[in-house]
Amino acid sequence: MLLETQDLAYTYPAGKQEILHEINIRFRPGEIAAITGDNGCGKTTLTKLLVGILRPGTGRICLGGNDIAAMSLAEIGRQIAYVFQNPAQQIFCTSVEQEIGYGLKNLGLGRNEIEQRISHYLDYFELSEYRQTFPLSLSQGEKQRLMLAAVLAMHPRYVILDEPTTGLDIYRRKLLGDYLLRIKKDGYGVIFVSHQVKFIKAYADRVIRIEDGRLSDGRGDCG
Amino acid sequence: MRELDPRSKLLMVICISTLAIVYQDPWKLLLLLLCTILMLAWLDSGWLSRMHALAKILPLLALLFLLQCLFTRQGVPLLSIHGINVLTDQGLAMGLGVMLRIIIIIMSAMILLSSSERDFLLALVQWRIPYEIAFMVMVGLHFLPILREEALNVYYAVQMRGTELQKISARLKIKLYTRMLLPIISGAIYRAEQMAIAMDARAFRAYPQRSYMRRLKLKKRDYFLQITMVLLSVILLI
Repeated sequence: MLLETQDLAYTYPAGKQEILHEINIRFRPGEIAAITGDNGCGKTTLTKLLVGILRPGTGRICLGGNDIAAMSLAEIGRQIAYVFQNPAQQIFCTSVEQEIGYGLKNLGLGRNEIEQRISHYLDYFELSEYRQTFPLSLSQGEKQRLMLAAVLAMHPRYVILDEPTTGLDIYRRKLLGDYLLRIKKDGYGVIFVSHQVKFIKAYADRVIRIEDGRLSDGRGDCG
Repeated sequence: MRELDPRSKLLMVICISTLAIVYQDPWKLLLLLLCTILMLAWLDSGWLSRMHALAKILPLLALLFLLQCLFTRQGVPLLSIHGINVLTDQGLAMGLGVMLRIIIIIMSAMILLSSSERDFLLALVQWRIPYEIAFMVMVGLHFLPILREEALNVYYAVQMRGTELQKISARLKIKLYTRMLLPIISGAIYRAEQMAIAMDARAFRAYPQRSYMRRLKLKKRDYFLQITMVLLSVILLI
């Protein structure tokens, strides 16, 4: 299921200048794509457009050929997961277990299936010991792993992470990178925004560079 | 007219808001609204570009107007359905009054947009309000847009985890909104803690006396405006 942008352009409501112009990119499942570029070039805006938080001015975003403009945020969220730069802003449950289970209940899954997935993802992201912990008391790296667990448990097709390496030390960065490789192997499409050249080189299959709101090579499909 | 002293602007807002609260007659309120618009135009505070904010609350104003009209029983009936008075002249006056009052208060606050927040901080301090309190008020105002952005992020995050907000019941919605307060409050407390440390590190309240690089000075037109505003308000209120 391809995620693609077609002639995407965006201007913030209060702004007069276009932030993104003629963006044409294709993302594939089982691939890690890194979006990079200078501060304010439109990286986060692009990711927010990809998940439907912002609606494009012109152009469209298609998931499996369907325009996401016709989908609600909840429908998009089932296919494309998004982890904010500050994962604490996405945590609203009172235990780690509940946080992972929240989306699963919305999917209408049975009790056994929910329990199974919670245990699996707690184990996968080494969070089992924090099962009953208040999520906001976790460290930055743990919160990030929790959010990855909470969104991946819903089995989306794509995971988008906005600056996931912010505030992580070298060891935690490596752990995060290894998790990304694991989920890529499981068939998820991963898109992350980063400035960390080393991290991008180590884990990304493809680098998309944005300069002044445009793709630097004019194409978003290069290897 | 940006050079008008911020204390004069604060006093203008206080006088207009007080009159808006005291006045009940919609005609008087309408006149006050016209005066407020004239003052905004004179101050050139970029108020026209911010009118979209007022447009956003129009549905709320309409609801308040309707509620006032429907639930005021006194006065001469203007509209009756099956013998029940739906609209009376007093209800209409009350509805219009509430609507105009809110519009005047919001528009008078736009007068403050023509000065920087630093100027208002100095104005409050020179009005002998303790610096700590003046600073807190300014920081609070400064944090509002950040809090709004964080609240929006939580709102999006909840929906992206499969919640169809439009389809769930009002009871569940309230429960969910209560839950959404958790990261917002937690973020605000965290930010306040960080700010307190940063301020302490820069000697906030380390000495009883604080010095200021700049002092606001009232000019003739400020004295004239302040005296006129206060006198006019007192006369109109008596």
